[in-house]
Amino acid sequence: MIVNFILNGRPRQIEAPANETLLQTLRDTLGNFDAKEGCNEGVCGACTVLLDGRPVASCLVLTPTVRAHTVVTLRGVQSGDDLHPLQQAFLDHGAVQCGFCTPGILLTALAFLERHPRPDREDVRVALAGNLCRCTGYTKILDAVQAYVSRPGRS
Amino acid sequence: MDTQVLGQVPRIIGRSVVRHDARDKVQAATAYAADWAMPGMLHAVVVRSPYASARIGRLDTTRALAMPGVAVVLTAPDVPRNTLWTDVPGQTTAVGPLRARLHILAEERVRHQGEPVALVAAETLDQARAAAEAVEVEYEPCPGVFDPEAALAPGAPLVHEGTNLLAHWRVTRGDVEGALASAATVVEGEYRTQFVDSSYLEPESGVAWLDADGVITIRVSTQVIEHFRDVAEVLAVPQNRVRVIGTYLGGGFGGKEDVTVEVYLGLLVLRTGRPVKMVWSRQESLLGRAKRHPYLMHYRTAAASTGEILAHDITLVSDAGAYAYLSALVLLYSTVTAAGPYRVPSVRVDARVAYTNNPPTSAMRGFGAMQMVFGYESQVDRVARARGLDPVRIRALNALRRGDTLPVGQVIETHVALPELAARAWAGLGEPSRPRAPHLRVGRGLASNFQPYGRIVWLHDWSSAWVGFEMDGSLVVRCGAPDVGGGQASSLCQIAAAVLGVELERVTIHISDSALTPLAGTTTASRQLYMSGNAVLKACRELREQILGVAATLLGAEPTTLTLVDNAAWAPDGRQLPLADVLRQCARVGVPRSHLGVYHAPAGEPVDLERGQGKVFPDYTFGAHAVEVEVDLETGQVRVRKHVAAHDVGRAINPQSVAGQIQGGAVQGLGYGLMEEILLEEGINLTTSFASYLIPSAADVADVEPVILESGEGLGPFGARGIGEPPIGPPAAALANAIADATGVRVTTLPITAERMARALGLLGP
Amino acid sequence: MHPFDYAAPGGIDEALALLSRHGADAKVLAGGQSLVPLLNYRLAKPRMVIDINALDLGAVGLEGDTVRLGALVRHHILEESPEIAHACPLLGAAARLIGNVRVRSLGTVGGSLAHADPAAELPLVMVALDAHLTIRRGGGTRRIGASQFFTGYLSTSLEPNELLTEIEVPHTVGKGTALEELARRAGDFAVIAVAVVVGVDRRGRVDEARLAYAGVGPQPLRAHRAEDVLVGHEPTAEWVARAAGVARGTMPTHSDAFASSAYRSLLVEVLGRRALGQAVGRALATS
Repeated sequence: MIVNFILNGRPRQIEAPANETLLQTLRDTLGNFDAKEGCNEGVCGACTVLLDGRPVASCLVLTPTVRAHTVVTLRGVQSGDDLHPLQQAFLDHGAVQCGFCTPGILLTALAFLERHPRPDREDVRVALAGNLCRCTGYTKILDAVQAYVSRPGRS
Repeated sequence: MDTQVLGQVPRIIGRSVVRHDARDKVQAATAYAADWAMPGMLHAVVVRSPYASARIGRLDTTRALAMPGVAVVLTAPDVPRNTLWTDVPGQTTAVGPLRARLHILAEERVRHQGEPVALVAAETLDQARAAAEAVEVEYEPCPGVFDPEAALAPGAPLVHEGTNLLAHWRVTRGDVEGALASAATVVEGEYRTQFVDSSYLEPESGVAWLDADGVITIRVSTQVIEHFRDVAEVLAVPQNRVRVIGTYLGGGFGGKEDVTVEVYLGLLVLRTGRPVKMVWSRQESLLGRAKRHPYLMHYRTAAASTGEILAHDITLVSDAGAYAYLSALVLLYSTVTAAGPYRVPSVRVDARVAYTNNPPTSAMRGFGAMQMVFGYESQVDRVARARGLDPVRIRALNALRRGDTLPVGQVIETHVALPELAARAWAGLGEPSRPRAPHLRVGRGLASNFQPYGRIVWLHDWSSAWVGFEMDGSLVVRCGAPDVGGGQASSLCQIAAAVLGVELERVTIHISDSALTPLAGTTTASRQLYMSGNAVLKACRELREQILGVAATLLGAEPTTLTLVDNAAWAPDGRQLPLADVLRQCARVGVPRSHLGVYHAPAGEPVDLERGQGKVFPDYTFGAHAVEVEVDLETGQVRVRKHVAAHDVGRAINPQSVAGQIQGGAVQGLGYGLMEEILLEEGINLTTSFASYLIPSAADVADVEPVILESGEGLGPFGARGIGEPPIGPPAAALANAIADATGVRVTTLPITAERMARALGLLGP
Repeated sequence: MHPFDYAAPGGIDEALALLSRHGADAKVLAGGQSLVPLLNYRLAKPRMVIDINALDLGAVGLEGDTVRLGALVRHHILEESPEIAHACPLLGAAARLIGNVRVRSLGTVGGSLAHADPAAELPLVMVALDAHLTIRRGGGTRRIGASQFFTGYLSTSLEPNELLTEIEVPHTVGKGTALEELARRAGDFAVIAVAVVVGVDRRGRVDEARLAYAGVGPQPLRAHRAEDVLVGHEPTAEWVARAAGVARGTMPTHSDAFASSAYRSLLVEVLGRRALGQAVGRALATS
């Protein structure tokens, strides 16, 4: 069936069967590999995208259901070649090792911070509790988000 | 240390540079193995046995072949060489040289749940999965054995032929019985550790295709590109007809050390002539990939009244699962390290690993040495309590020192920072936390460890790297080392930039391609910085000499007085030549602008462990972790409040990377200690989902404070030691020791789940 | 996943007509958080998926004593709504414990109740709150109490041609409520969860006590005998402990790979006591 939706700010029209997940459509039809398959059951968070601004597991979204909705993947958060300050914070604080969990964590953090602009470290820890990482042990991820929250120039 | 490079080194070596791969990853620009498609690509699926022990009766692929989109269905007869044989070192006196087999696809028998039986390739993944369900296999279950002790008992069902004993290592030193008989304190303990899974976020994945001149090209997430040889053997093609391109991995942890998808992809490409993709589902990975060796450890420890550990009598039994893989070597690591990083005059180790019909066990971060930490550090803690010594004191008292000899006869040749590590980890906990409620108790525990880095010396390890300048002075490094996410590639760039005076931004590295990059060996055994770092260092030093030789002529100076810094060659009087000019001159006079460096690790001959004859590993990395826990006396829940992890890394090439490795390994260790367990019932895996196999989330752990010591005496470049594996060792033992401190109760089985703790507290009755 | 027909009805009558015709071979898609994993694993192979997300079932309202929730109210609404936090905080407390943030973005109240996982938080609190569910079919409407709705392991009284459309929850203003659970890892399903509603009269005696458990069997259970212990008494620590002990004695527990029956029983008592204590404290604070 034809599915029209907004992807990273651009209207897209694609053909997808009903039994396809948004994760599959993004990767196999649209060539967008920002979201990854880590478990296909919604537990790990590697497939996270923003649906109407909220983090969802794209492995659990049937593509036809995004009709008329807005989807954002990691590249949708950047403007051109410039890194988003949160991405830069991840680099500055060594919060990226194998990187497989990184896109999901960045999107989840950004969506959280939209709604809670001044969290403390433990708030961030709980907010990211649904995104599994096997490499970093989480400490530097929290460091990066905290640094972003308290960066100079932030209103 | 090479004084000529000193000028540049402090500016780059020891700096927490942003890794080039991190920059890509933070934008999702890295193409992992599954982020790849080729025109006309087929999708492949493995058909696996649901039974742990069964004979295969009828195997009918007709229905599957007839299904829509199916290109091919393969079974054992379709594989040119379906059985790989390896020589397993087992120790001649008990076991003799052993040949272990591995089937690509099952023949006649399946020996573990998940054993591959058939391969399906179809136009789409859904079609492949549907066809896999249509492969008809008649299984006749036959008796299996699911416990290694039972497997070693007379009359046990045989997993292979002859015996279920796969390897048996023994070590004897001193007079263990005498020490036990006369010691002031004898502590006896039995410890059990569990099967766990690597659980990298990126499942096993790869895409393969037929490239020019019939080269089977496999682009795969792997820690070992040298598996192109295994693929060639199975396919019965020349080794130069198989190419493995290793991608940046989404985690390895040892689980991608064995062949995973490569052979299946090679088979299907050869058979169909089309590109093929295989990505394992998480459930398949949890079901089918090799696990960490569980251990039953029995310790009898003798100590003097003043706290010196006089003897250890250690019995180890482990489970190889249905196929040998790397089990004999894992057991060797356990045997060598079972007495801990301590000077113990009398040691006896008797270590056995047996075949069972459980899932195969193989390499995983820590490789047999990490499991031992739970045993020896629990014992040390109990001795300390019995003798009234604090955790730091007992370790300072007993720690190995340079010049001491390990029970296997290896002399410790480098600095052992253990006392300082223990002290700093312990002090890092700061003021004791108050329990947050009346039913909570707070306690602290310390555990130290040592982990070998670099491979066993009689394996004659080596690595190679090519370094070359482009005409404009930008630098290319080519090295076969796979990057599992720990910054392996980035560190090599730092080394090259430092030695050759090039800005880090002007260094590009190509890694992990068996056809195009010099082979560098496996990214395992915490060896890559040591081995490939030294290979790059060697290549750069040679290249530097070549370049400076030409520069010296141009500058009219002695080559030994010149330095390479800031993309230029400098004379002592301040005159400089841009690198591009020197390189142009090199081209004119025929001096190569590149060099291939080969580093050979100092090698040794195989050691008779039992007679304590000598060196096994090149060196060790020492560490100590301190944790503070809070135990809920009513529910048994254990929460980590604080965690300090101290390691002597020799030299931190990139301190932020090193800290990240320490923190990541520490949290994996916490998962091992608190929640991770592959549950098997008669060989059937009950935990084949991330909903049932639990790895720690951010909310399950405390921040890990890394303490990095740099003793400068590692064998790696600039004195670095390996840090990939060491941090996973101490946490479980530190937890158990902290729990003992909080509650007076010693837990001896892992993982320490809330229920296990509740039982240990006596909350569940007798 | 296995192929299926897909329909996205625009209104409830259309949805009910589809269910009448195809209900036996169809699955209803709301948030998808329970259904799609089953589709991904090829464990469910329905002939048709009926996507009800366009139906007008997302309203939240407070009418008199009752919080009315449309079946498509997402978990995050329960978490974030100030009205619900005031009128019935147990709903938000439950939602906060559901899975992870992604599940809460899309998962729905109706979906969670219809899926009826024995360890799930929303079925538990609906039983504790004596909620009533409105169920519609092509031919009519019926109402059923939460305790009767859950009939067994992943089973409810919903017929294949029926749709859960609304949930009415009596508010708990003036009462004390609490939710306690133990999970093996943050975000994991509960081993045991307990939801409590306690009302205290002007003489300081308990006049209402509802104590419900999840994880004690195929569906959430009210611990009526334990409730009876408390009613009429001052809610002292002693009475609370006694009630929790009676709950332990009367709640069935089972052993599986993840927890033993003995441990579950221990948690029934410990978590029950803690939840009762919290609820009592809140009840006394409001009076």
